[in-house]
Amino acid sequence: MEQVVNGVLVVNTETIPGKLITETLGVVSGSTVRAKHLGKDIFAGLKNIVGGELVQYTELLQESRQEAVGRMVADAMSLGATAIVNVRFATSAITAGAAELFAYGTAVKYE
Amino acid sequence: MAAEIPLALVVTGLCLGPFLLLGLIGTLWGFAYPFVFLWGMFTSGGKLDNMIEETNSRERSTKGSLGKDPLTTIDGGFRSDISEAGLVYASGVFGPSHWHLLIARFNNLFGGSVTIFQKVISAGRAEVMQRLRENALAAGWDEVINVRIDTADMTPQGMPTGAKGVEVFAYGTGIRYS
Repeated sequence: MEQVVNGVLVVNTETIPGKLITETLGVVSGSTVRAKHLGKDIFAGLKNIVGGELVQYTELLQESRQEAVGRMVADAMSLGATAIVNVRFATSAITAGAAELFAYGTAVKYE
Repeated sequence: MAAEIPLALVVTGLCLGPFLLLGLIGTLWGFAYPFVFLWGMFTSGGKLDNMIEETNSRERSTKGSLGKDPLTTIDGGFRSDISEAGLVYASGVFGPSHWHLLIARFNNLFGGSVTIFQKVISAGRAEVMQRLRENALAAGWDEVINVRIDTADMTPQGMPTGAKGVEVFAYGTGIRYS
């Protein structure tokens, strides 16, 4: 997992530990809706009968979250930010097997 | 004339093919479901216990090698010797087996605590927190501060079909001491 994505530092604390924030540039966000193909849905449905971890959906959400973070970072870069602080995540299931992932934070400049 | 019959067949085949395939899958599902359900009934309890035990042992070994838990929920303002910071996260989707759902339905009738769901979700949560510890250590962080744990229902409201699952997502800021 890459912590510094394209040169933008991403943390979920209000300040960057060990750094000084000089300017805030506003809220940046990124979201994505993704789904797995039918075969994986059927397999997850079968796995669901016996319980346990649904690896297909874990994978799906992991990919989506990476994409959402990537979009948030792209948004921050367009503002000329060097870091995003106080990042929060939200997940909502739209239909069974598709999920919306939303990441947001405050774009800042630090020295 | 002779060439048109195969063409018509091909067109009908193409149109009906997906539906036939879905029907086939549906039929297979109908046959397989009782067996898978029974299998789940006998194995899911043991599997859950194994998962809890496995997570616990990994957690013990991580905590043992570090001498403490690397995760904290505080903001980390107490340390001034931090050189680097970055986001770490881990997630997992966990679902109760259909047998567990049935038990829970009975539990619901009599009220009180639905222990089986509590067990499934807390097992998932412990597993995800352990993954966060492992991810953080693999990325070279010394500690993870400001840890937050989110739980999201994978089954949308008013949609009885589809997989029943809960997504557990843990994230925090990894720090490295200077």
